[in-house]
Amino acid sequence: MAVKLGRLKLNNPVMTASGTFGYGEEYAGYVDLNRLGAVVVKGLSLKPRLGNPPPRIMETTGGMLNSIGLQNIGVEAFIEEKLPFLRKYDTAVIANIYGETYDEFKKVAKKLSLAKGVHALEVNISCPNVKKGGASFGTDPKIAARVTRTVKDETGLPVIVKLTPNVTDIAQIAESVEKAGADIISLINTLTGMSVDLNTRCPHLKNITGGLSGPAIKPVALRMVWQVIQRVSVPVIGIGGIMTAEDALEFLVLGAKAVEIGTANFVNPHATLDVIEGIKNYLADHKIKDINDIIGTFRN
Amino acid sequence: MAANIYIGEISENEAVQDNCFLMKIKVAPSFQNPLPGQFVMIRIAGLNDPFLSRPISIYSFSRNENYCVIELLYQVVGKGTRIMAGLIEDSQVEINGPLGNGFDTLSVKENIVMIAGGIGIAPLSMLTENLRRTHPLSNMMIYNGFQNASAVVGLDNMRRLCRNISVCTDDGTMGEKGFVTQIFQKDIKQYVPENTSIYACGPGAMLKSLAKILNKSKFSAQVSLEERMACGVGACMGCAVAIRDKDCTLAFKRVCADGPVFNLRDIIWE
Repeated sequence: MAVKLGRLKLNNPVMTASGTFGYGEEYAGYVDLNRLGAVVVKGLSLKPRLGNPPPRIMETTGGMLNSIGLQNIGVEAFIEEKLPFLRKYDTAVIANIYGETYDEFKKVAKKLSLAKGVHALEVNISCPNVKKGGASFGTDPKIAARVTRTVKDETGLPVIVKLTPNVTDIAQIAESVEKAGADIISLINTLTGMSVDLNTRCPHLKNITGGLSGPAIKPVALRMVWQVIQRVSVPVIGIGGIMTAEDALEFLVLGAKAVEIGTANFVNPHATLDVIEGIKNYLADHKIKDINDIIGTFRN
Repeated sequence: MAANIYIGEISENEAVQDNCFLMKIKVAPSFQNPLPGQFVMIRIAGLNDPFLSRPISIYSFSRNENYCVIELLYQVVGKGTRIMAGLIEDSQVEINGPLGNGFDTLSVKENIVMIAGGIGIAPLSMLTENLRRTHPLSNMMIYNGFQNASAVVGLDNMRRLCRNISVCTDDGTMGEKGFVTQIFQKDIKQYVPENTSIYACGPGAMLKSLAKILNKSKFSAQVSLEERMACGVGACMGCAVAIRDKDCTLAFKRVCADGPVFNLRDIIWE
């Protein structure tokens, strides 16, 4: 089940998606973290972030909207308080990083590169819920490239760039960050959406808009992963609405080297393990010995 | 043993009034004994609509050698609880729990006051049952408020647990007329902050008005909050509530993992 994403080696292709698995410890009672391909932690900023005022979430048909606003304890507290716990596991730890400025990205990347136990950085240029930074870095190819270069210059770790789907041509952004040195590209982050409360005629979310996730977005995610894979040569991680092993396999067949499980963790804390088991069963049923023999076998 | 996922089998799911139901769910004996104030996330396995699990506080809990029984007293408020209400005996549900932090039942004073609004009576019933056992010598007074006589729920059980019960309704169709916080305020002089433990659960407006009454005084109160949740385990940060942190700065705490029980004085209402 092991996969290689360039220099980043994972025990299996199933990772957690940032923001849906806390700092790992929240789910450690439900999931043996050693069995995961990687744990991607909640997006980290230079200073702790308060996040957006509530209400922050709203259920939708086949999914949910969130406008958390990257509430997190900050990179230093993560290194001191959360990383020692994660180091105990034989699972890749990937730090998702966020900055409001190039300089903040640079500083966060540097601190995490010096801390032992981080295996890769995932650069969040795709959060739809923050006023500064976030998706504004991810919607312009030039700016996306500059963030990528900034982080690459600060770290020897593999750099994953996480893309927003809220653009006209996601493959163009992908090409741009690849050219700027991204080692891996992950996609998609949430789709911007909203929901109206008919009792009050107000938005359900205090932030008005939020990011849509869950099984409702999987077809969009598959389409975008397919578009990106055709245009870049770096490894791609598929994210978006994966609930089951079959969902994950769709991304792998398209050519994604790994997948991230996000919102599914909320409704099924065992989702990651269920997906891993399901992939193993599928491979056994189809007499496929190596997971890599199914990756990129899409026919059209 | 900590919280985990259990397949629960519904042994009973009866309407106790127009809009409230009592669900009894059998789970494996490995289910950890819950503390009063803790909750479970309940979900119909495999169902994507409604998509999220529903957080429901535990009303009662018992166990024998073969299984545990979790009782949930819940009100139908939307799609999820409406579907729950339609579940028949022997249906299976996924239960994640017990979750959250319960009420502090260690530093209990000699006078116990409970203030329950509507379905907020559910966690306070379990707390009452627990405190009756652990603090038999404490004086207990329970204030229960409901919208009207037909909205009364869980009161028979409360009466069984405690002799000193006050009942009021917004429209006066049962008990005194008025909000439960007003009825409590009339009695407040009977209590001394130093030897009174106050516990409350109810709608946001009720807790806010309780805060107005108590925050001028030296009384402190433990209150259980509710909020829409996605994960229930502290990962998604969706169920945020504004709290005055140690250094008096604003912090968004998670109702699921930092609560659902908070010190009333710490909650920022505006």
